[in-house]
Amino acid sequence: MTLQWRIEDNIGWLAINQPPANTMSLEFFRDFQEAIQIVEHTDGLKALIIHANGRHFSSGANLDELLDHVDEEVMLQHYNAFLHLEQLGIPAISAIRGVCLGSAMELTLFCHFRICSNEAVFGFPETTYNLMPGIGGVQRFSKLVGKAKALELILHGNTFSAREAFEFGLIDAIVPKHELLTFAARFAKTLPLNITGTDRRICLQKYLNPLNAKINL
Amino acid sequence: MTHVPNISFEIINDIGIISLGNPPSNKLEQPEFIPLEQFHEWIQDESVKALIITGEGKNFSSGGNLKEIFHQTQDPERLAFGMNAGKELLEAINDLLIPSIAAINRVCFGGGLEIALACHIRVASENALLAFPEINSNLMPGLGGTIRLPEIIGLSQATRVILGGDIVNASDAKSMGLVDFLAQKDHAFEYAFSLARKMTIDRPVKVINAIMKSLKNAATLSPTEAMKDETRLFCMLAINEAERRKMEGE
Repeated sequence: MTLQWRIEDNIGWLAINQPPANTMSLEFFRDFQEAIQIVEHTDGLKALIIHANGRHFSSGANLDELLDHVDEEVMLQHYNAFLHLEQLGIPAISAIRGVCLGSAMELTLFCHFRICSNEAVFGFPETTYNLMPGIGGVQRFSKLVGKAKALELILHGNTFSAREAFEFGLIDAIVPKHELLTFAARFAKTLPLNITGTDRRICLQKYLNPLNAKINL
Repeated sequence: MTHVPNISFEIINDIGIISLGNPPSNKLEQPEFIPLEQFHEWIQDESVKALIITGEGKNFSSGGNLKEIFHQTQDPERLAFGMNAGKELLEAINDLLIPSIAAINRVCFGGGLEIALACHIRVASENALLAFPEINSNLMPGLGGTIRLPEIIGLSQATRVILGGDIVNASDAKSMGLVDFLAQKDHAFEYAFSLARKMTIDRPVKVINAIMKSLKNAATLSPTEAMKDETRLFCMLAINEAERRKMEGE
């Protein structure tokens, strides 16, 4: 399986399991759709944490495979799977370390919260390949960080650091690498059921402040 | 190239540059400060990948010519015609499928701020000053400012800026989201130019156009429709790219 699923203390842990790069292949997207259905049908979950095995979150889609099978229907299925994640009715948190690029950025943009380690690196490299984000990245990113910043980063295509990402509001908290998953778990447990990320900033102020000591700014 | 009074246009490294030139204040004599047809002619040049609007000399623009506006009230139809023409021009700037950037040094008031709000990105120097002073003359912004400003900075801040008529300094403007990037004193143009280069260098126009279209959809279509169109645009680019690679035997 390209994904691993486990439950601990009513928190669901979904791990991308294609190390080292955790490339999001077509097989991954099919597995992801199934995984989200499993999450949906698991009773009593308080939150979902999406993370990755290995040093990196994910380098994004498999470009060669994608260009060999350009299919609008399939892309919309990917989008629907991400949308399904967003609409599960429980908070989804992505815990990101290492590289998080392209489609992986898009996946995190459908989560309600994004937590990363201090060495995480982000980017939309699509334009470097004469492409653009295609699974909601343009829509979600511009809503989250504003049109100007979205334009700059999507068109430029260069990577940016955890600190930059925090400053313009992509990332909700930065923690030391070895504390990423324990922080994510503790954060998930402080959230009540059924937060639908309508105002994640308010959620954060309310629920993250008591943990301020652990946020490495 | 056709001469437009008080305006200059040039293309440097694929970046179109419109300079408001009536220094020192760069006052706008007409709301339609560039004839719409002329604007389209300039921008339709295939090589233009981004547009910067800036002011000649020290300031961006102090806005419209009040005397001229009051003079035109003798002919209300003419006044309305001029305002509508100005609005159409700003709409055209906002509708561009290449990034438009306002590079704001020092004074950016009234009509000047309306132009800046019509751009996709606002870069201001740290000594920039922005305001809608219309209310001090018992007027209001008339080129879309009352609609664009709340979209950009929210209703409550926009109410304060428009009804207060007070001058907003660059750092306050940055923190309320009225400007997107702060540049060093008097260096808004340099910042805007390097930003424009960074965004467009090595990027085919059709990639830029597709992303701009998708960004626009985010503001104008329902999330579902916008999403479908993002996927459509992506697939269009992907098919092009796959073909290009085949041709080049990559």
